[in-house]
Amino acid sequence: MTTETLIWLIPFPPILAFFLIVLFTNRNKALSHTLGVGAAGLSWLGAMIVFAAALGAHELGRTPFASSINWIPTADTWLRIGVLVDPLSAVVLFFVAWTIFMIFLYSVGYHNFGQPAGDHDRPGLPPHGATVEEHGHPQAVPSIEPMYSRFFAFLGLFAFGMYTLVLSDNLLTLFVGWEIMGLCSYLLIGFWYAKPSARNAAVKAFMTTRVGDVFMLLGIAFLYSATGSLSYRDIFQPQVLHTLASVPTPILGLSAAGLIGLLLFIGTVGKSAQFPLHVWLPDAMEGPTPVSAMIHAATMVSAGVYMVIRMFPLISLDPKTMTVIAFIGTFTAIFAATIAVAQNDIKRVLAYSTISQLGFMIAALGVGAYVAAAFHLVTHAFFKALLFLGSGSVIHGMEHGVLHTGDHTVDPQNMFNMGGLRKKMPITFWTFVIGGFALSGFPLLTAGFWSKDEILSGAFSNGNWAVFVTLAVAAFLTAFYTMRQITLTFLGGPRTAEAEHARETPWTMTLPLIVLAVFAIGYGWVGIPQDFLGLHLNASWFHEFVGSTLALAPAASPFSWIVFGTSLVVALGGLFFGWLAYRNVTAPEQDRLQIPLLKNKYYFDELYGFLFIKPAYWFAETFVYQWMDKGLIDGFLHFFGRAANAIGSAVRTYVDLLIINQTVGDGTAHATGWVGRNLRPIQSGRIQQYMLVSLIVLLAVAGLLYYLLVIV
Amino acid sequence: MIPLSWYLILSAALFSIGLFGVLSRKNAVAILLGIELMLNAVNINLVSFWRYGDVAQMAGQVFAIIVFAVAASEVAVGLALVISVYRRRNTVIADELDLMKW
Amino acid sequence: MDFLSSHLLSLILFVPAASAVVMLFLPKDEVKLLRWFAFAASLIPFALAVYVWIQFKPDAAGFQFSEQYTWYAAIGSSLHLGVDGLSLTMVLLTTLLTPLALLASFSVSDRVKPYMMLFLFLETGMLGVFLAMDLLIFFVFWEIGLVPMYFLINQWGSANRNYASLKFMIYTMGGSLGLLLGIQLLGALFGTFDLATIMTKWTSAQGTLLGFPMATVKDVIFWAFVIAFAIKVPIWPFHTWLPDAHTEAPTAGSMILAGVLLKLGAYGFLRLVLPLYPEQAKSFAWALALLATAAIVFGAFASYAQTDFKRLVAYSSVNHMGFVMLGIAAAALASGTADARIALNGAILQMFNHGLSAAGMFFLVGVIYERTHTRNLDEFGGLFPLVPVYGGILIFTSMASLGLPGLNGFVSEFLVVRGSYPLLTPYTAISMLGLLFTGAYILKGIMKVLHGPLNEHWAQGEHKLTEISTREVIVMAPLMALILVIGVWPAWILDVINKAVMHLF
Repeated sequence: MTTETLIWLIPFPPILAFFLIVLFTNRNKALSHTLGVGAAGLSWLGAMIVFAAALGAHELGRTPFASSINWIPTADTWLRIGVLVDPLSAVVLFFVAWTIFMIFLYSVGYHNFGQPAGDHDRPGLPPHGATVEEHGHPQAVPSIEPMYSRFFAFLGLFAFGMYTLVLSDNLLTLFVGWEIMGLCSYLLIGFWYAKPSARNAAVKAFMTTRVGDVFMLLGIAFLYSATGSLSYRDIFQPQVLHTLASVPTPILGLSAAGLIGLLLFIGTVGKSAQFPLHVWLPDAMEGPTPVSAMIHAATMVSAGVYMVIRMFPLISLDPKTMTVIAFIGTFTAIFAATIAVAQNDIKRVLAYSTISQLGFMIAALGVGAYVAAAFHLVTHAFFKALLFLGSGSVIHGMEHGVLHTGDHTVDPQNMFNMGGLRKKMPITFWTFVIGGFALSGFPLLTAGFWSKDEILSGAFSNGNWAVFVTLAVAAFLTAFYTMRQITLTFLGGPRTAEAEHARETPWTMTLPLIVLAVFAIGYGWVGIPQDFLGLHLNASWFHEFVGSTLALAPAASPFSWIVFGTSLVVALGGLFFGWLAYRNVTAPEQDRLQIPLLKNKYYFDELYGFLFIKPAYWFAETFVYQWMDKGLIDGFLHFFGRAANAIGSAVRTYVDLLIINQTVGDGTAHATGWVGRNLRPIQSGRIQQYMLVSLIVLLAVAGLLYYLLVIV
Repeated sequence: MIPLSWYLILSAALFSIGLFGVLSRKNAVAILLGIELMLNAVNINLVSFWRYGDVAQMAGQVFAIIVFAVAASEVAVGLALVISVYRRRNTVIADELDLMKW
Repeated sequence: MDFLSSHLLSLILFVPAASAVVMLFLPKDEVKLLRWFAFAASLIPFALAVYVWIQFKPDAAGFQFSEQYTWYAAIGSSLHLGVDGLSLTMVLLTTLLTPLALLASFSVSDRVKPYMMLFLFLETGMLGVFLAMDLLIFFVFWEIGLVPMYFLINQWGSANRNYASLKFMIYTMGGSLGLLLGIQLLGALFGTFDLATIMTKWTSAQGTLLGFPMATVKDVIFWAFVIAFAIKVPIWPFHTWLPDAHTEAPTAGSMILAGVLLKLGAYGFLRLVLPLYPEQAKSFAWALALLATAAIVFGAFASYAQTDFKRLVAYSSVNHMGFVMLGIAAAALASGTADARIALNGAILQMFNHGLSAAGMFFLVGVIYERTHTRNLDEFGGLFPLVPVYGGILIFTSMASLGLPGLNGFVSEFLVVRGSYPLLTPYTAISMLGLLFTGAYILKGIMKVLHGPLNEHWAQGEHKLTEISTREVIVMAPLMALILVIGVWPAWILDVINKAVMHLF
C-alpha cells in the first residue's frame, strides 16, 4: 500500500465507527466504545505511519505526498479533491492523531464505563449517580452516562472531520471537515440537551461560528472563481499568487488576495473564537464534558489557525490584511487573558486561556512568524489538551466527593470549592502542573516556553513593538491565571467536604494525562532555536521541517536577549505573583480581581444581544413576517381578492341584475306580455271578421304593391 | 269574338258576389255557397285565359278541373262539418261558433 | 419488449393515470388493497425512470427517447415527449417522491380511494410538464397538476384548508394566464407549438406584431412567462401562497408540493424562459437576482419567525428555492460562460436536493403531527429521549436542509454561490445573510422539538409519544440515502446535469 492510499484511508475508520454505532451497536455500550476506540486507534496508527514516512521523505516540502480525484463536474473541467501531506500537515496530523486517540480512551473513564446505570438518570441529562449495596450499606457511586454509545459516535464523526480537514489538499474539503466539526461541536456542547443552558450554548456556538463560515464560503467562492481551483498547490503557484496580489477590488482598496485572505480569516475568527466572535467558546463550557470542551477548545479551534497557516502564502500577500490579522490576534490575546483572570469555573478559565493562546498564534501569523505560529499550535494543542483533560479529571474527582456528601448544590467545577487536591489526586496534580507550566511558558523545560518565545521573538525581530509588548503582558497574565488556577485547585487545604472526599480517577483517564504530559514537555525540544543563548546548536528541526512547506523557507528570527529576558520574566513573574496572591485566598470575596467588568466578560453577550440578536428577532418576527408577508404582501393579495369580490358583486348588482335581468330580460318579457294582452281582443273567434281583416290587408298590400311596382 | 275583358268582368263580379256572401251571410251553409261562387269565378278566369292564350297549353283546363275536384270535396267536408256542428251546438250561425278564440 | 422500449416515456407518463382509472373499479372499503395498489402502481414509473436513467446517454445532444403522436393537428400541436439531462433529473425526482408520498399516506383513512386516485393523477400531471416537448401539452399538464392538488388540500387538509387551497389555486391560475397568452401568441406566430421548432424560429424573429416592435412583444411575453413561473417557484414577493398551502396540505401533499410542484416553476425558467428569451433574461437578470436574494434573505427570516413547525419548514422552501433562482439569474446574465454553467449545475442540483430534503422535512413534521396533533413549536420540547430514532432522522434531514457539507445541500449551494459570485457579487454576498439564518431556523426547529427540558405532557399516559414506525422509516430511508450519496459523491447525477447544461446553454 502506498503512503497516498494510506492517507486516503486515515479518516475513514472513525466515520465507519460512527455509522456502525448509530445504526447497529447503539444499545451495546461495550461494543460501541470498542468500535470507537478501535477506529481511533486505527487512524492513529495510520497517522503515525504517514508521519514516519513524512519524516523520512526527501524534500517533502517540494514533493509532498499528494493524490486527488475528480469530484464535481464544473462545466468543462472537474473540481478535484484529494489528500496532501506536506510538512505542515504532517506535524498537525501528529498532534491531531495523538489527542484524538487520547480523548477516545479518556472518554471511557470519564463516562463511568463499568459503573451501574443511574437510579434516576435519563437521556439528555448528566448522570446523577447510582445506589449500590456495599457491605450491607447503600452507597452512592457514579453512574454510567445513559447516552454512552452516542458519545462515541459523535467523537467518531468529529475525528473524521478533523482528519479530513488536516489531510485535504484543497479548501473545499477543508471546509467540509470544518463544518462537520462545527456540527459535532453543536452536538457535543448540546450533548446533555435537556439542560437549557447546554442547549442554548450549542445553538450559540453553531450560529456564531456560522457567521464566520458564510464569509469563509464567500472567500472560497471568490478564490475559486479567481483562480479556477481550490487546490493549495494550484493556488500557491507564484504566477497565480502574483495575479491575485495585483488584481484590485473595490472594497477598502484591498487586492484580490487581500480580500480573499480577509474573508477566509473571518472564518477563522469564528472557528478559533477570536474577537469579536469569541463569545461562543466560554459558553461551550456549559456543555457537559471536559472531553467535548477539550475537543473543540484544544483541537477543533486549532483548525481555524491551521487554515490561516495553510493559506499563509496567499494571506500574507496583502499587508493590510496582515495588519488586521495581527491586530485581531494581539487584541484577543490580551483581552481574553484579562477575562480569564476573573473566572471561577475551572473550565472557563481554560476556555479563555484558549482564546488568548489562539490570539498568540494569530498575532504571530499577522507579523509573519509562520513557523512560530505552527509551533505554538502544536505545543498548545498538547498542553491545552492536557489541561482540559486534567480539569475533567478534577471535576470527576470532585463529583465523587459530591456523590459522597450527597449535596448536589455544590458546583464541582467552581475552583473555590476545591483546594488541596494535590494529595487526593496526585497524578492529576502533577500532570496538571506540567500542563499549566507549559501554558505559562516555564523556561527551558516546557514546550510552551519555546513556542511562545519564538512568537515573541518573531514580533520583536519584525519591529512590531506594540504587538511584542502586548503579547508579553498577555503572557504575564497567562502565567498569573494559570498559577491562580493551580493554587486554588490543588494547593492549600480542602475548602469543602466534597474536596475532602475527592478521589483519583481510573487509569483510562490518567493514562492520557501522562502521555500528553510527556508531549507537553518533550515537544518543545524539537524547536529550540539554532542560536539560542548565542550557542551554536543543531538547527531547529521544527523550523527546518515546517519551514520547508513554504516555497521560500522563512529565516529564523535572530536570538535576542531582550526577548529571552522578557519570556523569562513574564513566565516566572506571573507564576510567582499568581501563587503569592492566591496562596491564602479561600473565598471569592477575598479575590480582588473579581471585577464585574471582567467577570461579565466586558458585557459582550449583553451587547450582542442588544445589537444583533434582539434586532434579528424583531426583523424576523415583526418586520419580515408580520409586516411584510402578512401585512404588505398578503394585504395586497387580500386587497385583490376583496377588489375582485367587489367588482364581481358590483357587476352582479348593476349589470347582471339591473341591466341584463331587469332591463333586457324581464323588459322583453314584459313588453311581449303587454303587447299580447292588448292585442288579445282582435282574436274574436269570428271567422267572418278574420276574413274581412284578411281582405283588407290583402287589398292594402295589393294597393301598396300596385303603387310601388306600377305607379312608381 | 267577345273580348277577354268581358269574361274577366263577369268573373270579378261573380267573385265579389261570392265574397260578399261569405262576409255577410250568417248561415254557415250560405258561407259555403259563397265560397263555391268564388271558386267558380276563378274557374271562369282560368278557362278564359286558356282560351285567349296559348290553346296548346292545357294548364288552364287542368287547373279548372282540379278546382272542380277541390270544390266538390270541400263542399262534402264543409257540409259534414256543418252538420256535425249543428248536432252539437244546435246552430249553423257562424258568429255563434266562436270557441276558437283565446 | 419493443413496445416497451419505444414507448418508455408515454408509459411513465400515463401508467399513473391509467392506474387511477383502474382504481375506480376497486371496492372502496378495501382500504389495504387500495393503498397497496396505488403504491405498486407508482413504483412502475419509478422503475421505468430508473431504466431510462441507466439507458440515457448524457453525452448526446438534444432530446432522447422522443415520442410524437398526433394530438391536435389543426393548430399544429402534437403529443411530443422527450427527455434531456435536465428533465430526466426532474422525472427521476418525481417518480421517486410519489411512491414515498403514497407510502407516507398509508395513515390516511378518510376516503382512501379518491385520495389515492388524486395522487396518481397528480403524478401524471407533474410528469407531463417535465416530459412535454410541445408548449400546449406543457400548459395542459401544467394546469392538470393543479386540480388534484387543490382537492387534496381542500378535502384532506387541516383547519384553514379552504383559504389555503383557494389561494393556491387562484394564485397559480392567475399566474398561468399570462403563460397561456404567451403560448398562444407563439403558436399563432409560428403555426406550431413544438418547442424545438419554436426555439429555432423565435430567437431570430424580427419585424412587428400588431404594430408593436418584436422587442417589445418579447419583453411582454417574457414577463408573462416569468410571472407564471415566479409564482410557482415561488420567488419573493409571490411566495405567500406557499406557507399557507404547505401548512394546510396533508403530509404527503406537502411532500409533493415542496418536492416537485415548486420545481415546475424553476423547470419552466430553465426549459422555456432562458432558451426562448436570452436577451430579455440577460437585461432583466438583475431583477431576478434581486428577487432571488430577497427570497433567500426574507425566506430565512420569515422561517425563523414561525412558531408553527410546518410553516417553518414551508418558509425554508422559499429560502432554498431562492438559491435555485440565484443560479438561474446568474445563468441569465452570462449564458454560455463557465461561471453560468456552474451556477446552473448548482441550481438544478439544488432543485433535486431540495426535493429530497424538503419532502423529508415535511414528512417528519407530519410524523410528529400525527402523534401529537399539534404543530406548535412551543408545545413540544425535549422529545429526544422519547423518540431517539425520530430525533436522529430529524437532525440528519435538518442538517441536509441547512447545507451541511457532506450532505447534498452543500454541494448545490456551493456551486450556486461559486457560479454567481463573479457575476452577481453583491447579491451573492447579501444572500449569505440568508444562509446564516438558514442555520438559525433549522436549529430553532431542532431546539424547540428535540432539545430542552422534556415536556411531561408527551411522556406518559394517553398522550405518550410513540417512536417512528418501520413504515415511516422506510419512507425516509431512500431520501436519507440519496442525501448522503449526493453529498459524498455528487458526480453521478451532476455529470448528467452538467452535460445537459453544456448542451443547452
